[in-house]
Amino acid sequence: MFIFLFSFAKNIFNFILEISTMAETNKGMEEEVASAFVNHYYHLFDNDRSSLSTLYNATSLLTFEGQKIYGVEDISNKLKQLPFDQCRHSISTVDSQPSSIAGGCGGIIVFVSGSLQLHGEDHPLRFSQTFHLIPVLQGSFFVQNEMFRLNYG
Amino acid sequence: MDPDAVAKAFVEHYYSTFDGNRPGLVSLYQEGSMLTFEGQKIQGSQNIVAKLTSLPFNQCKHNITTVDCQPSGPAGGMLVFVSGNLQLAGEQHALKFSQMFHLISNQGTYYVFNDIFRLNYA
Repeated sequence: MFIFLFSFAKNIFNFILEISTMAETNKGMEEEVASAFVNHYYHLFDNDRSSLSTLYNATSLLTFEGQKIYGVEDISNKLKQLPFDQCRHSISTVDSQPSSIAGGCGGIIVFVSGSLQLHGEDHPLRFSQTFHLIPVLQGSFFVQNEMFRLNYG
Repeated sequence: MDPDAVAKAFVEHYYSTFDGNRPGLVSLYQEGSMLTFEGQKIQGSQNIVAKLTSLPFNQCKHNITTVDCQPSGPAGGMLVFVSGNLQLAGEQHALKFSQMFHLISNQGTYYVFNDIFRLNYA
């Protein structure tokens, strides 16, 4: 009898969890997208940097420590040529907001802060980064705008 | 006008209003504007300015270190990415921060549609 009540309560709990997750999803779709994007972006950066090119197109803009770079080819080259082979990003905060009014283009702004550990360096570098994601037909997003700044102590 | 110059002018105007006349920020936001302040989400100019004017300090001074800007798309918006520090009256050490604005053009002037603020802890 006790076991029956326990599993009944557990089912109710899971059901409520699911409903509240769905409600949250409808309200803040951009949070889910932002979270998934951030995981994907930094995973690629740290493990397969040349594949970052799949996230940009010819209209993409990157400002990297004040340097402006246009288009997927130049952006990919810049990221590949950064003066370190191995690195690991650790993300502290992710904030997101829709970039247009409801019914607009569906863009999402993502604001990230974290730290970057370069292989062989004693101390990680702190950074902030802004992305503006634009949806494409297949349901995914590309990076139209990106700005990166180190945060010096 | 050169977009970098527009961004710089906006940033100067925003922070001097914040530092000298915080309620005056209400003219820089509209009803659909969104602010995320240290993770807290606030919508609409009234609520945003209520939040900013209720921050637990009276006097402050923003010192801007970097300003980056990019056009946000065909509708003429502009993304502005700022880093700097914030000195509170009576505090020994300044707080470092980063902030992102998405400015939308409205009849010749810009207003803040998106605003995200984060302190940068060491």
